[in-house]
Amino acid sequence: MTEFGETTTVSWNDSLEAIEKCYELGWTDGLPVVPPTQERVAEFLQRAGRQAGEVVGEIRERRREITAGKVAANAVMAGCLPEHLPVVLAATEAMLDPVFNLVGPSSSMGGAAVLVIVNGPVAGQLNINSRNNLFGPGNRANATIGRSIRLILMNACAAVPGLFDRSVIGHPGKFSYCIAEADTQTHWTPLHVERGFSPDRSTVTVFASESPRQVRATGYPDAILHAIADAASSLGTSMSTSGSVGDPSARLRQGQVAVTIAGASSLWTDWSKDQVKAYLHARIKRSVADLKRAQVLPQSPEGTPDAGDEETYVSLVPEPDDILLVFAGGEESNMSSVIPSWGPKVASTAVTKEIR
Amino acid sequence: MAQEHVLVNPTTQAIVAPFDGAPRLPSLAGTRLGIIDDSKRNADVLLEELVDLLRTRYEISDVKWHRKPSASRPADPKAIQDLARDCDSVIVAIGD
Repeated sequence: MTEFGETTTVSWNDSLEAIEKCYELGWTDGLPVVPPTQERVAEFLQRAGRQAGEVVGEIRERRREITAGKVAANAVMAGCLPEHLPVVLAATEAMLDPVFNLVGPSSSMGGAAVLVIVNGPVAGQLNINSRNNLFGPGNRANATIGRSIRLILMNACAAVPGLFDRSVIGHPGKFSYCIAEADTQTHWTPLHVERGFSPDRSTVTVFASESPRQVRATGYPDAILHAIADAASSLGTSMSTSGSVGDPSARLRQGQVAVTIAGASSLWTDWSKDQVKAYLHARIKRSVADLKRAQVLPQSPEGTPDAGDEETYVSLVPEPDDILLVFAGGEESNMSSVIPSWGPKVASTAVTKEIR
Repeated sequence: MAQEHVLVNPTTQAIVAPFDGAPRLPSLAGTRLGIIDDSKRNADVLLEELVDLLRTRYEISDVKWHRKPSASRPADPKAIQDLARDCDSVIVAIGD
């Protein structure tokens, strides 16, 4: 044992052999990784001013402690630069917060990914993309920070596909799922400030969630929000299903939802984030009749809706603040995305931590 | 000539403290049963049926029922302590 915990001595002739060794060791997500040599891991930790043995958090149900050394090793493998490590550490700390309940989203058939949203000055300093191709490829920081989280889940948190990770279909965000908010390019209050941090601080917010559903609406704020609310009110999301909640008065699971809105901030001059969230909250709902047709709510024996069911609606999101509204995406258009939570709010809640 | 390198192992091992399981009950007759209903759909249906069977066939005396607020969250440690204090055996089941 070393200061890094367990180490493995391997030999290789060239970089291709080095990559293949990591495949043989079972440490990859299916893509090639950078070998986590002791020297590289030490460099990452030294730059971040952290000790290898420092406990970042634990996943109690799996009897595992996650140290800064393990986080750094996975960040090296993901292709991070040393300066990315503090972001990865903060995201790991956030997803190991008991409120996040990592054991749920990392094992569930629901197949969640952990969306990482970066706010504050660090996004600009590290060139974390908040604009064009928001969820797409092409940016090292987004790709490698997001990928680190998946490698940490698989390697350090034992969420191995087919073993503890029981995802039925999963989604592409499980490879990498990291964005920043374009918080210097909007009058809207940044997400981290809404969640209690000072604007000059940098944070990560982690959110256990399904894949983004693109919403193609442009033009006027009400039209855009109408389309977003419609997409967020779909049948078939975790938010619009029932079960797995102990409260007998809860008709639906209800959950949090992330919404990204792109384009020019000037379109929203007359709207605050609170106004947008209130508008959406009032409209993210589904009729009792539809919920019965989908057998989310119990049907009558005849399978027909009861009187009033078409006009009675159930909200899919508990509170307006359960809408994580993020100004991000290309400047070219007001395209948006809706990202439903993995599960009920009572099962997992988004967590924000400061990047140190 | 291949060169040796030391890699930091990125995986973790479960740290499980050794423990002794509780002694088996010689009989269920007259014992108190605890139930943890994880709140998955139909878990209550399955467990209620089981309780009925245990009452009629094995004459359990009393049942203490705990329903978790969320299927995905671990049971509240206080609830587990209460069940351990008040029950002779506990059934935990997932219904899906």
